[in-house]
Amino acid sequence: MLEIKNISKSFYRKTALDDVSLSIRKGEIFGLLGPNGAGKTTLIRVINRIVEQDSGSVRLNGNLMTEKDLADIGYLPEERGLYKSMTVHNQVLFLGRLRGLSKKDTLAKMDFWFDKFSINDWRKKRIEELSKGMAQKVQFVCAVLNEPKLLILDEPFSGFDPINVELIKQELIEMRAAGKTIILSTHNMKSVEEICDRAALIHQAKKIAEGSISELQSAKKMGMYAVRFKGSMIAFVNALWTGFEVVDKDILGDDRFVVRVKMRGENSFQDLLKVLIGQIEIEAAWEVLPSMQDVFIDLVQPKEEVRDEK
Amino acid sequence: MKNSLLIAIREFKERIGARSFISLSILGPLFVLGMIYLMFTYGGNSKQHWNVLIADHGNLLESKIMPGTSTAVTYSFYNGVITEADFADGKKYQNFDALLEVNEKVLTNKIGFVFYREEPDLKMQTRVQYHLERRLEEILIERFKKVSMTDYLKIKSPLTLRYANVYDPNEESSDLVGWAGLFFGVLIFAFIFLFGMTILRSVAKEKSNRIVEVLLASVSPRQLMLGKIVGIGFSAFLQFLFWIIIIAAGLYFMRENVFPDVLDASNMNLQQLVIDSAEQSYQESHFVAREYNQFVELVFERMQFANMLSFFVVFFILGYLFYGALFAAVGATTGSESDGQQFVLPLIFLLCFAMYAGYYALNYPESSLTTLFEYLPFTSPVVVMVKLAQGYDAGQGYQIYVSLIILLISAIIMLAIAGRLYKNGILQFGHRVRLKHIFKWLRKS
Repeated sequence: MLEIKNISKSFYRKTALDDVSLSIRKGEIFGLLGPNGAGKTTLIRVINRIVEQDSGSVRLNGNLMTEKDLADIGYLPEERGLYKSMTVHNQVLFLGRLRGLSKKDTLAKMDFWFDKFSINDWRKKRIEELSKGMAQKVQFVCAVLNEPKLLILDEPFSGFDPINVELIKQELIEMRAAGKTIILSTHNMKSVEEICDRAALIHQAKKIAEGSISELQSAKKMGMYAVRFKGSMIAFVNALWTGFEVVDKDILGDDRFVVRVKMRGENSFQDLLKVLIGQIEIEAAWEVLPSMQDVFIDLVQPKEEVRDEK
Repeated sequence: MKNSLLIAIREFKERIGARSFISLSILGPLFVLGMIYLMFTYGGNSKQHWNVLIADHGNLLESKIMPGTSTAVTYSFYNGVITEADFADGKKYQNFDALLEVNEKVLTNKIGFVFYREEPDLKMQTRVQYHLERRLEEILIERFKKVSMTDYLKIKSPLTLRYANVYDPNEESSDLVGWAGLFFGVLIFAFIFLFGMTILRSVAKEKSNRIVEVLLASVSPRQLMLGKIVGIGFSAFLQFLFWIIIIAAGLYFMRENVFPDVLDASNMNLQQLVIDSAEQSYQESHFVAREYNQFVELVFERMQFANMLSFFVVFFILGYLFYGALFAAVGATTGSESDGQQFVLPLIFLLCFAMYAGYYALNYPESSLTTLFEYLPFTSPVVVMVKLAQGYDAGQGYQIYVSLIILLISAIIMLAIAGRLYKNGILQFGHRVRLKHIFKWLRKS
């Protein structure tokens, strides 16, 4: 749906994006990851035509993006704000109309979203009277009011309490089910694992990884496996020989455990199972993939260390 | 364009909804009216006593004036000819404030001439006119043994006294109207500054509360800037309209009730005139209605409001666009709201300079520097107002249109430059503004 090709952008001597290409498919939630200052926000601004790229192209459904396409995009920036002295109603009406909706459509959609988020009582309130979380709900409504085909959210969960984070997540999942495409820029790796289909990592203005969440995790797997079993922990440890290393364990109770084991040398998952069968009662065994947090740190940190040494 | 309109409407609604807008729309013009009233009442700083020398070559008046004249005027008679130049510079005439020329013709054409050193207020003018008028009536009555209706009408036909400054008989420098022009010019700049600051604050506020990025996802920076300038401009215009309506209504009220038109017969109470004329106090009570000073005369008689107002509006709009774009650019380049304040200082200097240019034009209307100020877009709105009030010499009226075209082109260029600064500066936050940033932003497309 969205093809970003060889985008470069510099602000005077600072390179914000260096030859970044991405491909975002229709109906997926795409995570845009990277440390602070990596260039994520600049890329989002290029997609939104707020900032003009120095080179490269952005294509939407195969065509070069134009100003008209902005009507199909919803955008919730990281640095977001509202007019403090305006009422919620007027604010949403104004932003809806700016996004190209008629007054009638804006009002109808406002009713729908206000009902959905139970914020009808706030209509007459000024933004300055709302709490931060309340204001963020209003901002989210403003971003999705025009039923965008492509929704771009920059740190949408910051400032929300856990209940509202869940509410927004569910909303995004529903939107994906309805065929919408969502770009999610966030530092919240747990939510990336939970709701993103694919992701890209940008670091120091360059894209350093792109793929489905499992692909990204697989690329960084460390040969670790987990075994859930019933029996004696001593028996489990005794069964292992020098080719395996117990990393940690969870006690589930009633002599049931989950133990994570790292392979040593040429040993495989098959070898592990072979030595365990007969010693304990295996309930389940699986490969442990690194969390997105680990993937992120692994991809980003070594480079920073190298840089620090310079 | 539709988005600019939406931005403009939002800005307009926000401005007119503010309490300060309503209070300024009402209190502002009331304050101006109050000042006008004070000037009308106490503004006349003319002499309260006048020494008038009557040059009566043919001894027409027989060294007599209306009996029982008030103590405000002392008349002396000279049965000869005194030229204006003699009166202006002659040592023996320096004690006299005015020279009143009378000759035989005055009985038929009822026109006399008064040359003054310092312009008298209208009260003094009508006083002298009244005294001479009554004396002429006496003379005429003596001449007609039997008064016919025609004779009576001749006697009663009003006298016209033509006043002129003895040092400047052709009235080449008329300060007071120029001051009125300066007032209009200053009014333009007051509005420009007031609403220019509103633009600056509005831009800085959008930057500081970060809504600007949400807006920029729907509108281009230029559309946003234009919408803002137009929206705030319309609120300025509406406020200006309030001012005009309230001041016009106030002036009309004063004209009808406080300072009536002395030349309009309908304002004279005939019955009262008859009763009063029998009494010696007649002239003083009659003069009450004629208590004019030069400000009253200026506002009601000499100002060409229609002409002034139409050019005022045009120069106001163009001047506002020119400076408004400048204010918007400053707002967009600042890193924070407080940062903006320090950059206002050069703008204030610029506005002060424009005021000074207006004052300069008032004193040296013919100087080439004034012509330069008249064409310079930074100063033209105020200088043109002064020149317009003073009146252009024949064949020089084109200057106003040249000035207008220069201002129009400058406003367009300024909007383009400001648009560029706005585009490149609006998404920069929390930085300290340096001139090198501004030059870089200007160079970038």
